[in-house]
Amino acid sequence: MIGIAAGLVWLLCCAAVLAASRYVTRWRQGRATRIDWRAGLAALPRRYLHDVHDVVERRPGTGRMHALTAGGLLASLGLVLLTSLPFMRASRIVWAGIAFFAVLGLVGSVLVWLRRWPRKPGWLSGGAFYALAPALACCTGGLSLLATWSAVYGPEQVGEVIWVGRALMALGGAGLVWLLAAGPMKHAFAGSTWLVAHTRPGRFGGGRDTALRPLDLNAPVLGSISPADFSWNVLASFDACIQCGRCEQACPAFAAGQRLNPKALVQGLVHAMGEASPYTGSPAPLAPAVSGACGMHHPIVGVDASIHPDTLWACTTCRACVQECPMMIEHVDAIVDMRRGQTLMHGAVRPGAAKALRTLRDKGNLAGRPPAERADSLAMLDVPILAEGDETDILLWLGDGAFERRYGQSLQALVKLMQRAGLRFAILGEAETDCGDLARRLGDEATFQVLAQDVLATLARRRFSRIVTADPHAFHALANEYPALGGRWRVQHHTTLLDELVQAGQLRLTPRATGPVAWHDPCYLARYNGQVEAPRRLLKAACQNVVEMERHGLRAMCCGGGGGNPVSDVDAQERIPDLRMAQARDVGAALVAVGCPGCTAMLEGVVGERPEVRDIAELVLDAVVAA
Amino acid sequence: MTSSADVLLRPLRIKNLVIRNRIMSTSHAPGYAEGGMPKDRYQLYHAEKAKGGIGLTMFGGSSSVDCDSPATPWSQIAVSDDAIIPYFRQFSDRVHAHGAKLMIQLTHMGRRTRWDTDAWLPVVAPSVMREPASRSVPKELEIEDIRRIVRSFADAARRCKEGGLDGLELSGAHGHLLDQFWSPSVNHRTDAYGGSLENRMRFGIEAFTAVREAVGDDYVVGIRMSGDELLKNGVTHEDAVAIATEYARRGLIDFVNVLGGQARDDMSHAISLPNMSFPVAPFLHLASGIRREVDIPVFHAQRIMDLATAARAVAEGHVDMVAMTRAHIADPHIANKLAAGREDDIRQCVGAGYCIDRIYVGGDALCLQNAATGREQTMPHDVPPAQTKRRVVVVGAGVAGLEAARVCALRGHEVILLEKADRTGGQVNIAAKAGWREALSGIVRWLDGQVRKLGVDLRLNTQADAAMVTALAPDIVVVATGGKANPGDWPGHDLTCTARDVLEGNASPEGSVLLYDEMGQHNAASVAELLATRGCQVEMVTADRLIAQDVGTTNQPVHLRELYRLGVILTPNLELCELYREENRVVAVLRNTMTGEEEERLIDNVVVECGNLPLEAVYFDLKPASVNHGVTDLPSLLAGRPQPGLAEKPAGAYALFRIGDAVAGRNIHAAIYDALRLCKDF
Repeated sequence: MIGIAAGLVWLLCCAAVLAASRYVTRWRQGRATRIDWRAGLAALPRRYLHDVHDVVERRPGTGRMHALTAGGLLASLGLVLLTSLPFMRASRIVWAGIAFFAVLGLVGSVLVWLRRWPRKPGWLSGGAFYALAPALACCTGGLSLLATWSAVYGPEQVGEVIWVGRALMALGGAGLVWLLAAGPMKHAFAGSTWLVAHTRPGRFGGGRDTALRPLDLNAPVLGSISPADFSWNVLASFDACIQCGRCEQACPAFAAGQRLNPKALVQGLVHAMGEASPYTGSPAPLAPAVSGACGMHHPIVGVDASIHPDTLWACTTCRACVQECPMMIEHVDAIVDMRRGQTLMHGAVRPGAAKALRTLRDKGNLAGRPPAERADSLAMLDVPILAEGDETDILLWLGDGAFERRYGQSLQALVKLMQRAGLRFAILGEAETDCGDLARRLGDEATFQVLAQDVLATLARRRFSRIVTADPHAFHALANEYPALGGRWRVQHHTTLLDELVQAGQLRLTPRATGPVAWHDPCYLARYNGQVEAPRRLLKAACQNVVEMERHGLRAMCCGGGGGNPVSDVDAQERIPDLRMAQARDVGAALVAVGCPGCTAMLEGVVGERPEVRDIAELVLDAVVAA
Repeated sequence: MTSSADVLLRPLRIKNLVIRNRIMSTSHAPGYAEGGMPKDRYQLYHAEKAKGGIGLTMFGGSSSVDCDSPATPWSQIAVSDDAIIPYFRQFSDRVHAHGAKLMIQLTHMGRRTRWDTDAWLPVVAPSVMREPASRSVPKELEIEDIRRIVRSFADAARRCKEGGLDGLELSGAHGHLLDQFWSPSVNHRTDAYGGSLENRMRFGIEAFTAVREAVGDDYVVGIRMSGDELLKNGVTHEDAVAIATEYARRGLIDFVNVLGGQARDDMSHAISLPNMSFPVAPFLHLASGIRREVDIPVFHAQRIMDLATAARAVAEGHVDMVAMTRAHIADPHIANKLAAGREDDIRQCVGAGYCIDRIYVGGDALCLQNAATGREQTMPHDVPPAQTKRRVVVVGAGVAGLEAARVCALRGHEVILLEKADRTGGQVNIAAKAGWREALSGIVRWLDGQVRKLGVDLRLNTQADAAMVTALAPDIVVVATGGKANPGDWPGHDLTCTARDVLEGNASPEGSVLLYDEMGQHNAASVAELLATRGCQVEMVTADRLIAQDVGTTNQPVHLRELYRLGVILTPNLELCELYREENRVVAVLRNTMTGEEEERLIDNVVVECGNLPLEAVYFDLKPASVNHGVTDLPSLLAGRPQPGLAEKPAGAYALFRIGDAVAGRNIHAAIYDALRLCKDF
């Protein structure tokens, strides 16, 4: 015969299983996908305790809150279950342990309460979340009472306190089950499931996996139109969202008043799955109302659906939300999946994006210019052109930014540096075509694959030992996304190459005295590829006075230029680059060093008095010591 | 919308040659060659343009290929000897170091040169026809002469290639030997080189064929030619198209560099080098007409001073390369400023023709507004900052004061610029009021913009005196108070007003006006035009041999054209002796400078132009307390050393300098050079 407390907890477990089963039913309507269950389950504790908690603990207060609450609750309830074993039931030590953890849980509950008291911050949700702290407090409080009594007087001693404790426990437990069925507590179940069955297991343990997956263009549905078009584990990831709002705080589009709030987006997806409980966080800024019609087979995106189309196109794919998400949800994958649905199934891209895609298909470059003009800005530098069958050491990939005059100056600086270092390199000249990054981010996988096939064919007919590019978007596509299509090369961003040259003494620099210089990390270099050290080493070698913006490295803020945002006619209250430039001003930067044609264009587009924008190659060239 | 920069900063490929942008400078003769060789001064002048981002700079206008086309007049380049090759190598290295391409013009001038220089050889031409500009009567070329000159072209071309130049053009413009053959007005031959156009083209074909054989097919060879000589019996546009098409069809030329008109007489010379009285790009249509018919790139120069016009010429397909030759004399850094989005910082050529006019009187090319051009060895185009920061007060914001303030600000000094008027510019504002001289205001506009941009403390409506200046606690005071009109000193000079009074609106003469000019410059001619336009009956009198005698050859014909058209009576060789009143009119007593005979005029008004007297009161008030007693140390000035005494100047004391017309009345260039030369070493 087990104790009443243990019985209650068993009951609670059964209720929780029942409550959770509705999610299983929901997710099973998603697409099937192959999951390595054994590995996933084995890795779960580590993924939870290490990967998830590492993110949670970026904010120490929140980390403590979660450790106390989750740790206290789970440990105390677990120990109560242990008392179902006859020889454990009477152990005062066990009950003392239960009391200890329950008190910790109770403290955690108070911390949960304090998150929304006296005022709820904008990024947190309300509604059922207000019930979370009381339910937790009842459960752990009741258990504390009960366990303390049992520890002091022995579990056989029944007193009024025991009954009060049991009653509180039952009340709190019921509340938690309800919160599991209809609210915040589902994150525990959905989150665990998602951690086991994550779409990018490579991200755990400090790994990096950011490449979009190729799409089978022969599938009946391309991308995601309705919730059922997502694979089931992705649906679980949406339910895993605890609405902590960190994505919202990191999102550049949200900050600029564009119609995207990544948290609201995920909750929109939850709503689309038919979730009844209302969303009580901040909405996507100024997004027009949608009808909210939902269902597993009802469209997600549309005025008569859950998410307004404007939301989709405001994303810069900068992955700041993903970087911040403690649940390791893949917002950008979801957005690209939905964009794929809109673009490939409905042809519903924005006019500006449609024009860009058409130009890419017609001309093979975004500028819409003859391919021969790509290297115009390098005309007087006599860069060899790698013809079919030819061989070189370094293939310099110019990217579509080369068509722009301003960026041409950055490329000139890079080429001069490479020439000065005596490197053997060449460009593709007329043969270079767009790598497909933009088409892919806009969801036009068909155009991406066409462009990619051209690039693969061009590169297959030439020999080189590595590719160097100053465009992080091209770098990411060539290095991380082309392998899935059969293109495997050694690819470097120009900051890596230049850093190597400086370290090896092939370029000798004397740091110049300039005003304070801040390195603006390109998203596709930092968050997508983790490269934050080489550019900083390089910048320090070139400039005496280097400063850091508050948001830098993996947490840097996007310039607003990625993911097709600039061509998607996005409505906004402010411009993202204006915000970023203000951050540079805040640390007194006189110069912003960049390493991406998109960043150059966006940040130089900031009007009025502002720090100067220079590609890092230009700064390095200025610092080169005359031989 | 495509910006000027997007259009102009695109490379041009000619065979294997890649020119980084569409901006170039055509071959001209700046008068910098020494002994027929382009030495440091000449090379640095072009290297500065290369440094400034130009795509192609062509040098050596009328560089001669043979000894009977001497290089001596206009200090030109002689490519008739292998001695030139080392200079070419040094030259091309200097220009290539900045990423620009370098080409030369080769020519034989035929009859259009002088026989009375070092070689004393007769000039030659297809036929014995006197050349109006040089007044030379040539010898008719014999077949042996033709073969010799064709050989000379080939040898000269080889020297260019060996010297590392990126290409060359042969001149068939401005009445040189090539176009002397083409033009029926000069070529009266009856042999295989005269008569039909096919025959008249023959000499050129032979010359180009020889050049091609000497330099090979992959070397860039072009032609400079007129798209229409605008001359009775001259090369018409149809002829020009036919010639360009035929030479291109034969693969003899890789580009055609088109201009309009010729330069056979004073007026056509002025038209072919259009000054500020002309609209922009007056002959673009001729280049465009040829470009439509040929498959090779077309270059064109002629009064394209602004980037908007340049970009239009390229964007609309009239030309492939736009030549901004005088524009680069005013500002050699046009392309870089364009690329950097600093178009407002470009010092735009105003078309004063000062550069070219100096060459035709045997001088060196200097820019009216940019004193560094042609002086790259000593004067900076980019003024470097000084080690010691000082407080400089400049009195007077005419062009001398503006330039002084600009240079001092670039040196990093704290500059206070005091101006009594409500605007900057001083006397140039007055000059710009006269008819077609309005474009002079561009000089002031640029300086004013730069001074404000550089943060100079500009105080307008401020009549400075010594107390005010010293109260500003300056380290250096530069007095640039300019000058006032000289009223003259002959008996009865109180009965006159000055040309400047007329321009300033202080005097409005009516009826008959005698305008007496002692200066021979633009001033009097401009005022004569202004008064005649207002309805006065004007007689312009001067003791010189000519009206507007000192106005240069691209400007003087325009003045004369206007004066004749307006019915102004032009009377040279008369000296003003005396004026006296007769009732409400004035009698002017004039004496013929040649015969000594006197004659009189009874007129309503007399206007005189006798130059400037310095405004020097502030200077002399400041002089006693200055550490240097207002002395500019001339050896230091000429050697480009800082003025002595500045370094050991006691705190609280100031050094005093005087520049521009405040010293002695001269011209805009003198004022600006005074300022740059002095202040660059502060």
